[in-house]
Amino acid sequence: MKKMNEDFKLENLPKHNIYQVPEGYFDRLPMRVMERTAGARAQETSVHAGLWAQVRMAVAPLVLLLVFVGAFFFTQQQQKQNDYSTLQPLAENDIIDYLHYNEDLETADLAELSYLTKHEFTEDFLNISPKVAEEELEYYHIRHIEE
Amino acid sequence: MEDKEILEKFSQPESQNMAFNQLVRKYQQKIYWHIRKMVINHDDADDLTQEVFVKVWKNLGNFRQDAQLYTWIYRIATNECLTFLSNKKKRFFLPIHDVAAELSEKIDTSPGISGDEIQLKLQKALLRLPDKQRLVFNMKYYDEMKYEEISEILGTSVGALKTSYHLAVKKIEEFIKLD
Repeated sequence: MKKMNEDFKLENLPKHNIYQVPEGYFDRLPMRVMERTAGARAQETSVHAGLWAQVRMAVAPLVLLLVFVGAFFFTQQQQKQNDYSTLQPLAENDIIDYLHYNEDLETADLAELSYLTKHEFTEDFLNISPKVAEEELEYYHIRHIEE
Repeated sequence: MEDKEILEKFSQPESQNMAFNQLVRKYQQKIYWHIRKMVINHDDADDLTQEVFVKVWKNLGNFRQDAQLYTWIYRIATNECLTFLSNKKKRFFLPIHDVAAELSEKIDTSPGISGDEIQLKLQKALLRLPDKQRLVFNMKYYDEMKYEEISEILGTSVGALKTSYHLAVKKIEEFIKLD
């Protein structure tokens, strides 16, 4: 044996498969593979379904929140528009008359004017000149002294 | 059934299972023996062979027909073998030669392995080669594949494969002479 090993050349060795398989193994293997592919298909489907269910569960509160936020801003917008459109039909003269003849106005109300910014209460909106406003205040003041 | 016909039938849902069954019947032995020579044990080879065909089934729809079907399946099988052996080494924190020793022991003890002394020695000598070189040797020596085909499977140049094979033969002969 030792002598044989010393002269060993792979090309001189006949090719031989030393491994064996159980009887009928290759007859059964395709069926076993097919069973696994069917299982893999079912698993793949259930994984997709499970994933979709999880996505729905995660997205649902977000969608609900967005709907609430959207509804809130929409209502706010509508409210602003309503306020504006309620005032719009009134003629500017009516507003001036109202301000002119309203005896409930107090000095404190007029004092608050100084806090209003130009943007909130423009000259155009009041539609009176500074001179007329001054005369009105003077007249109002005289009336209060007389009383 | 030709590969082209198998692929055509696989693409139609009504004949998909039949086509895949044909594919498994056509390639099961080549793939099984390719794996068995690498992992030695029948149960491991059986698991891996099934795993390979499950992967083939999952990816066959994306298979590009510019490559040959059997080299593609061989590549999947080769990767499975290398991953299996690599995991074995990692799992047991064993250096390479210890896995080789474990596999070598299986040659002596596992059922379903029989051959004369020199044949058993050849298998043990093969286990002393690095995994990739063992793959090259098996595909060239036992499966009698062309270097071009092995190159397509392993992604290694033909020149490097030739060198690797001749070195493998030399190492095996040395091992058997010294044993």
